[in-house]
Amino acid sequence: MHTEPSRPHTLTNFTASLDHLRGSVLMMSSLTQRNLKNSIRGLMDRDDDWCNNSIADDEEIDLLEMQIDREGIDVMSRFQPVASDLREVISSIKIGANIERVADQAVNIARRARKINEHPEVPELHFLDELVKMAVSMFDDAVRSFAERNAHLAVELKARDKELDRLNRELTDKMIQRMQDDSANLPTYLNLIFVSRCLERIGDHAANMAEDVVFAVRAEDIRHLGK
Amino acid sequence: MSESPTSPPMLTDDFAPGEVNFMKVEDFNFFYGKKQALHGINLTIPSRKVTAFIGPSGCGKSTLLRNFNRMNELIPGTRHEGDITIHGTSIYDPSVEVIALRRRIGMVFQKSNPFPMSIYGNIVYPLRIAGERDRDVLDGAVERCLRSAALWEEVKDRLHESALSLSGGQMQRLCIARAIASRPEILLMDEPCSALDPIATAKVEELIIELRKDFTILIVTHNMHQASRVSDLTAFFYLGSLVEYDITQKIFTNPSSQQTEDYITGRFG
Repeated sequence: MHTEPSRPHTLTNFTASLDHLRGSVLMMSSLTQRNLKNSIRGLMDRDDDWCNNSIADDEEIDLLEMQIDREGIDVMSRFQPVASDLREVISSIKIGANIERVADQAVNIARRARKINEHPEVPELHFLDELVKMAVSMFDDAVRSFAERNAHLAVELKARDKELDRLNRELTDKMIQRMQDDSANLPTYLNLIFVSRCLERIGDHAANMAEDVVFAVRAEDIRHLGK
Repeated sequence: MSESPTSPPMLTDDFAPGEVNFMKVEDFNFFYGKKQALHGINLTIPSRKVTAFIGPSGCGKSTLLRNFNRMNELIPGTRHEGDITIHGTSIYDPSVEVIALRRRIGMVFQKSNPFPMSIYGNIVYPLRIAGERDRDVLDGAVERCLRSAALWEEVKDRLHESALSLSGGQMQRLCIARAIASRPEILLMDEPCSALDPIATAKVEELIIELRKDFTILIVTHNMHQASRVSDLTAFFYLGSLVEYDITQKIFTNPSSQQTEDYITGRFG
């Protein structure tokens, strides 16, 4: 059983600080969603400008990660939160770290996309479509589960991560086969494997965020279950 | 909550090496005249643990604490229903002498109350009124109690100076030393640190943790972080009722009751 706060704190500064921390996580999420989509657009549209935007904007996300850590430490030192408030602060800091890693993967995708764009287009690029769709939707839903404190949605993400892992393995096998059949485009196939790996890692981070949401909302630790 | 208040909450042998059902509060109601201050309290307290009572002002936590040594009986117009037992014996049993009961249950109050006599005199006072006259026994008790209260090193060279010359924190530790002089089984503490600075509070808290090896300690505190730091079990009271009673770690990380959650997170009280 778990409980949730039913009213604001008597100390309005406490509520304001928690709200600000939450706002920072949502701001960081939103920028990362934008960067991820820019990277993918740069890859799919073969447009380096989108890739460059994504790489340049990563610094802002790194700064937000540090800001979230500072705000979390500030709340803990000033208000000594307990129960749901403590879980919220701990989860926010951990989710901030996972978002930063998603943003790093977006940068990795942008860098790989620039390399892919140097070479002729290959139809195998669209083997990534399903992986892209799933990884982006997983990250979007991880953010939504945090924003809505939706533990049910968060639990679902764990299962979806397994499907993303399977798609990544399938794509890797296909690309290895293509490398053998078409060595002229070997660098592109290799880069597509790297992009696939980045998308798979985004799914892992989304699943980690989901675990933190479940901990914050239900006080349950669902990590390392079913392994 | 995870268990009925009548049972100690999920105590393992490892957690409770003492007596799990050491003290029991059973269907306990308490009245100040016509006003009912406690409503149907059921609580089982294990021995040699620190149990904290928390809750907003007027919730009944101090009232319940003062029933364990029957101090409330000193207030005219009070009465109780239900029972409190220690080792299975009712504290209200006609065979129980109140003075003897209070010797078994030491008490420390919010404001330190050293007697206007020497440090030495304070410690030996309860022993002298119990008839002890042997100087060696008294000297030994003074050192033992002051060491237990982590005060010996600070006062051993001025035992015969006035207790009123001590600092606030030292006075409170002296009162704890005096409370354990008659070797009670139970220590009741009613907001023992509320008048102390953070360093003196830390020393008293350290002392509480040390003393639980030998004593069963019940502490009333408004400082929730103090409850979370020093207690093994926490009981949350509201409007004279026991709302939740559980292992302290559970109460402060994932309470079962909405009211407990709202109180400990500072949303009312």
